[in-house]
Amino acid sequence: MSKVKFEKIKRPEKIGLPFMLDFYPLQDEKYTRISQFFKNLKEGHLTTTKCKKCGELLWPPRIMCPNCLSEKLEWFDLGTEGELYAFTEIRLGAPIGFVEDVPFCVGIVKISGLLISARIDGAKYEDLKIGDKVNLKIVELPDSRVFYRFSKDKEQ
Amino acid sequence: MQEAGKALFEDVDNLSPKDVDSIFVGAAQPERFAFLSYVAPLVAEYIGVTPRKVIARTELACVSGQAAIRYAWNCVATGMSDIAVAIGVEKMYQPDMAEAQTTMTCVLDREWDGINCFSAPPIFAVTAQRHMYEFGTTEEQMALVSVKNHHYSSLNPIAHLRKEVTVEAVLKSPVVAPPLKLFDCCPMTDGSAGVILVRAEDAKKYTDTPMYLIGSGQCAIGNAINNLASLSEWVPLKLAAEEAWRTAKITKDDVDIAEVHDCFTISEIMEYEGLGFCEKGKGGKFIEDGEPYIGGKVAVNPSGGIMGCGHPLGATSIYHTFEILKQFRGDVDRGRYVKGAEIGIQHSLSGAANQHSILVCSRELR
Repeated sequence: MSKVKFEKIKRPEKIGLPFMLDFYPLQDEKYTRISQFFKNLKEGHLTTTKCKKCGELLWPPRIMCPNCLSEKLEWFDLGTEGELYAFTEIRLGAPIGFVEDVPFCVGIVKISGLLISARIDGAKYEDLKIGDKVNLKIVELPDSRVFYRFSKDKEQ
Repeated sequence: MQEAGKALFEDVDNLSPKDVDSIFVGAAQPERFAFLSYVAPLVAEYIGVTPRKVIARTELACVSGQAAIRYAWNCVATGMSDIAVAIGVEKMYQPDMAEAQTTMTCVLDREWDGINCFSAPPIFAVTAQRHMYEFGTTEEQMALVSVKNHHYSSLNPIAHLRKEVTVEAVLKSPVVAPPLKLFDCCPMTDGSAGVILVRAEDAKKYTDTPMYLIGSGQCAIGNAINNLASLSEWVPLKLAAEEAWRTAKITKDDVDIAEVHDCFTISEIMEYEGLGFCEKGKGGKFIEDGEPYIGGKVAVNPSGGIMGCGHPLGATSIYHTFEILKQFRGDVDRGRYVKGAEIGIQHSLSGAANQHSILVCSRELR
């Protein structure tokens, strides 16, 4: 054994989730120029930007139209009812912060002509089929941020 | 990457790392996987290269390696460089699977698609679902791709997965994201591969058996899921293929070997279609008929593909380009040797398959 000194040092036992590894976007004006999207969402409206010049409906929301370069955009309400275009269920390989939710469904929802990806709540994979009607729902994070999901509600 | 560097320079008698004037390092996500940025000088140092002309890292997710080849090719072609190395590397294996998946999940637009957990398996799961819905492709047909590629990788001594699988084993493997099961998916792998590029007229100074890049095609359309051209048909692949055939002055029928991006079984099926080897929607039938096997219409992934060899993101395209060279040299197991091959293509895709890249390689200068 060599005579070199060994010393045990301390390290934090666990490092909390670093902020930028949280998937949910930053929503305040400080961080994003589409903060209006999240304000609208807080009031129960899923919206996006529509170009006033060329009429293109843009998703994700933008501050400039990539189609015609116009900055004259307006907020457009996408409504609350969509149709399931495709879906799957996360059973293995969820990222940090979502492992606890496994299994859960995700899908692509056709709404106002757009194809928006989203979590699909309220059903197991086996209960879903392409073309199903799904309804907008909004989830609130503990830090008051919000995000949209869709849900397959039971038949009335 | 030291292993790859050693193998690279030992393959060429009269060329040492010190002769290399430029290096391009394909690495997709070293910041997350290995907690390292600025990896081009690091890789150069590890393999003894001291570039005096051009050095850069290239990043294009799963196509980072082919991007490195393209940059090196451009430098050599314009005369900016005389001897350039394109080397790719990815260190993906780590103790926490969720952390690795977190890294993969920020490839798609993280704020709008990654947030909904659309990492690789879910996006290819919905792609498979639409392909099944629109064209009647079956899970059994997808499994056949896995059977073929694991068969060839079982004959490849440096493949990650060297075991054969059966259709039944694929169908019964754990479900990752339906309809995709574990054996429909490529593994996460540590790996590295490199190639040396010089001008065609200089090639024979260094080796009797060089390979020539004679054409290429690349196309990207959209990024967020909403802005893809289509889920069930890879339009950018079709356009990249047209450009590749045009620049190489060949047709799809001239292709003897296709090393294509089989990140998931559905990918290879859609690549038969996008590359024009079969009609749109008929990719499932193409594998059912054995056409992508050696001896069929075109040998697809005789290396074992990334499904069998592994998919170290930055290294993948470069390894599979090297595989074409090995085939031309006859330097592979007889069970996966494509005899008399003259033209090989290396295809890679990235993201939600919104970007496709093709290199056309030739045994002879044409």
